[in-house]
Amino acid sequence: MDNISALMDGFATVVQPVYLLYALFGVFIGTAVGVLPGIGPAMTIALLLPLTYSLDATAAIIVFAGIYYGGMYGGSTTSILLNTPGESASIVTALEGHKMARLGRGAAALATAAIGSFVAGTIATVLLTLVAPFMASWAVQLGEPDYFALMVVAFITVGALLGRSVPRGMVALALGLFLGLMGTDTLTGQQRFTFGIPNLADGLNVVIVAVGLFAVGEALYVASRMRHGPVHVIPVEKGWRTWMKPEDWRRSWKPWLRGTVIGFPIGTIPAGGADVATFLSYATERKLARKHKDEFGHGAIEGVAGPESANNAAASGVLVPLLTLGLPTTATAAIIIVAFQSYGIQPGPMLFQTQSSLVWALVASLYIGNLMLIVLNLPLVGMWVKVLQIPRHYLYAGILLFGALGSYALSFSPIDVLILLVIGVVGFFMRRYGYPVAPMVVGMILGPMAEDRLRRSLTISQGDLSYLVTSPFAATAYVSILVIVGLGLWLKHREKRANAELSRLGEEIREESQSQEVN
Amino acid sequence: MLPPPNVPPGEPPAPGGARPQASPGPGGATRDGQVATEELPLAGGQGTSEAAAAHTAAAPRRRVGEFVVAAVTIALGVFVVVDAGTIVVPGAAGTMGPRAFPYLVGGLLLGSGLLVLVGLLRGRFGEEDDGEDVDPDAPTDWKTVALLGCIFVAHVYTINIAGWPVAATLLFGGSAIVLGARPWWRAVLLGAVLALVIQILFGGVLGLSLPPGPFLEGVSLFRG
Repeated sequence: MDNISALMDGFATVVQPVYLLYALFGVFIGTAVGVLPGIGPAMTIALLLPLTYSLDATAAIIVFAGIYYGGMYGGSTTSILLNTPGESASIVTALEGHKMARLGRGAAALATAAIGSFVAGTIATVLLTLVAPFMASWAVQLGEPDYFALMVVAFITVGALLGRSVPRGMVALALGLFLGLMGTDTLTGQQRFTFGIPNLADGLNVVIVAVGLFAVGEALYVASRMRHGPVHVIPVEKGWRTWMKPEDWRRSWKPWLRGTVIGFPIGTIPAGGADVATFLSYATERKLARKHKDEFGHGAIEGVAGPESANNAAASGVLVPLLTLGLPTTATAAIIIVAFQSYGIQPGPMLFQTQSSLVWALVASLYIGNLMLIVLNLPLVGMWVKVLQIPRHYLYAGILLFGALGSYALSFSPIDVLILLVIGVVGFFMRRYGYPVAPMVVGMILGPMAEDRLRRSLTISQGDLSYLVTSPFAATAYVSILVIVGLGLWLKHREKRANAELSRLGEEIREESQSQEVN
Repeated sequence: MLPPPNVPPGEPPAPGGARPQASPGPGGATRDGQVATEELPLAGGQGTSEAAAAHTAAAPRRRVGEFVVAAVTIALGVFVVVDAGTIVVPGAAGTMGPRAFPYLVGGLLLGSGLLVLVGLLRGRFGEEDDGEDVDPDAPTDWKTVALLGCIFVAHVYTINIAGWPVAATLLFGGSAIVLGARPWWRAVLLGAVLALVIQILFGGVLGLSLPPGPFLEGVSLFRG
């Protein structure tokens, strides 16, 4: 019951008017930036990091919770109302939701996505509240080799599963590990790979790498092949009373719950993040739909309700390993770790003891942020539609400007901005040639931690390598790599097949809408 | 016209590969089949043949780039392994020194780079990212990327000389114009307004020490 009272304390912190305002600010700005096309949740957080530089830790964490959930909400609005499917986690939502919007049911699609996100987010946050303290108290008993084993699991699953091709994912991971090597070795004080640049003596700042890869790299990539011409946004009818008909409620509530059940566990294990969860939920809904089976691919509400809930539930699930083990399993989680670290907070099993009030304030603000989002989002759709219509040249110029500002504000050194550009160019080439950037960020953050654990393990064992695998937990972890990667690749394979079909549908939607614009 | 010559048999066509020619696929094609086949691909007003020609021309060059990237990865791996050997190891035998992990990382770079290279030789090419604002049929516009890079470098070097607001106006206005904003003065004006608002908000209110520059030095509003 300690946890309940701790959570209540967390609520007591968060409902102070100042912190409520921060939470509101977080969800608002998170949604607004998340709605912007081309900006996924990872980039949203990376770009908004500088906003929190001058806040105290609690306020910053509350703002981040808001941005995290807000960014997720924003993405679904984009994919339903815009003509082209966007980030992979919401591609399924994009297809069914977009079909619905074309049929004049855009409002229902938005509503079922928003309410589903709320339901899934709330249930998943409850699960997080229950599971995380137990995980943390269990994780405290883990030894150095166990942590090293966990990190190896994360490396391999992230490298193998966060992209479309395993070797390319491993290259991205290795590049991230290399960037993590730069700087001064903590145990011996040796400088490694600093090339004599003084700015690199303390290591490359992860914020610069994240902003460079996600914001600058993306902007350059889009600039190289930009879609010109006007932006087509589907108009949505006014008046929230007509949004969800009783029929829609009846068809939505089960997919919401099923999506949650699918999404949360997948979020907690390092198995490729929200993509897999949304895809599994979509496949499940399609299989279970009896009466409306023929509607799938033509705007089935279940195909929006389920995946959207799964997406949000997975987003909360990701926080479990993040907070209790300090293990980021997605790019977004990696950037949240960066945000924590910039306040000198190291997520991990000790977090629930050393920073208890902060953690519970974070959890409480997740509940409150979720509530704010549903209140805020449905009535504000008209505004988000306007945001979607921002001319693209201004949008990407703005992304470059805020990326530059974020790196410059780290230490007010122009060299940092130059490094940002170099990383951005690397990100551009990675995108162009099909290398995923997410494993790079994860590798860069986890690399130094893994080296630390490895060396401490070997110091304890006096160089005996077998110490790394003899603890039962570590042995289990190494065996589970095979299982997780095998399962993950199988799912990816199925997803790819389904995606080929989905992308054909997407093409069709675009062409249809194009012809309607012309007429 | 489909599939493009470089796509090996059995591989799914890369996004932006043969897609615009939209062969009627399963799932919905039966219902909207005629529509799909008769549609023009959307290449920002370009005609079908033009876009397709540009595409097939771009494809082989993209392949060369892939080999270059794999080669760079392998070279970096070799460099890391070699350079790791120069890291000084102070005393303390028996435990793992500062060289071991770099060796592992270098080895991983080398190994995964070789795997990609082998894949390339076998015809497994990467699939480029797609996104809401990416036109899958457009050829790569190197000029825009290079210009954006130059503007960015100019931004870096003007921060300390002319102050952040001027440098920011340059970055925003310049990028927007390169990306197609017209008329040009509106982009610059918008950039200036945005830069001043950020300067007031971050420099004045939040207290980040953004340098206001010689023109705005005296205005207390711009400094925390």
